[in-house]
Amino acid sequence: MDFEACFRLLADHLRDDVVVTSAGNCSELWWEITGETERAFYLEASMSLASLFAAGIALGNPQRTVVTFSGDGAFCMNPGMLLVERQLALPNLKHFVVDNGCYGSTNDLAHPFGELMDYAGMAKAVGVARVYDFATLEGLSQGLDDMTRVPGHAFAVLHVKPLGRRVASPPLDGPEVKFRFGRYLERTGGPPIFDSPVHDRGKPQ
Amino acid sequence: MSALPGTTSTADEVASRIVDATAACGITLVASLPDGWITSLIALYAADGRFRHVAVNREESAIGLCSGAFFGGIGTLALMGASGFMTCIYAITKINYTYQIPLLIGITLRGRPGDGAKFHQSNGLYLEPLIASIGMPFVPIERSADIDRLGTAYRHSRVMSRPVVVGFTRDVLRGEA
Repeated sequence: MDFEACFRLLADHLRDDVVVTSAGNCSELWWEITGETERAFYLEASMSLASLFAAGIALGNPQRTVVTFSGDGAFCMNPGMLLVERQLALPNLKHFVVDNGCYGSTNDLAHPFGELMDYAGMAKAVGVARVYDFATLEGLSQGLDDMTRVPGHAFAVLHVKPLGRRVASPPLDGPEVKFRFGRYLERTGGPPIFDSPVHDRGKPQ
Repeated sequence: MSALPGTTSTADEVASRIVDATAACGITLVASLPDGWITSLIALYAADGRFRHVAVNREESAIGLCSGAFFGGIGTLALMGASGFMTCIYAITKINYTYQIPLLIGITLRGRPGDGAKFHQSNGLYLEPLIASIGMPFVPIERSADIDRLGTAYRHSRVMSRPVVVGFTRDVLRGEA
């Protein structure tokens, strides 16, 4: 399916959820489509750690759905992430692997293992109970609610075409991402994160 | 908990003190990968109801998980051997330094004089210089009296919004220092 159309559909669907994006096209395209500066943590260049970073968020925010995107390049660096996810079995963690068959942020250089990989099969093999494989927008549209709204750790593969163009990275410095994201979580019912809660400033003690 | 094979009751007492000092920090999540020196310690964390212990597939995963847990308001410890720590430099600099996310990391001080393992001598040569090269505060735990410095290290990571690493010597972990 078309990568951009896929992310537009997801962005439209995930209006209230916290999102963690991995490096490259996932972060770039999410930023281009949403311009989101609070509900999204653009974890650029973590080399495979987006889903476990998201798992940590999900662990401390059980009332929220935490959605994470890994590129296929990132996934292949650390497929053992699935073992940890399976062990944690967080009901509010939803993990998408974006299979575009290439390294999208580095001029779409072909992914050397793309045609060998069965990401959904790997997730099933380690015991992830709810695994989805979306190759069309229609299928994604039909299955998205089930994946993201029904409690239970879920893993999905998004088969998309390479984007075929350069997309700008989110123009946010790391600390800005941290504070915008963290303050959003705190402000919307999450546990205290920062040692100095600025929202109390100026209020009568 | 009874002593694990190859450990002494004194070593278990030290492990218990480290676990208690961890709990006193407010840490409730421990993510670990084993090193032979800390198997008793990991077993204690795993058995202690004050913690959620997560055995990870590789050390970098502990960095990712614990860093995300910061945004869940969870105090964390990433526990690993020296060699595993050496594999984490990219994750630490790209996640914790870029976004300024605090994290307490516990490691073994492999390769110091007294460690008979030849394959760990590279850690003796490069571990502490490497930590210094990325400007990471390093708190050695060289005597059992130093165990309370765990709390100081944890608080310092919060104050500076970056990771702090505590290193346990073999003698401390064996209850001999």
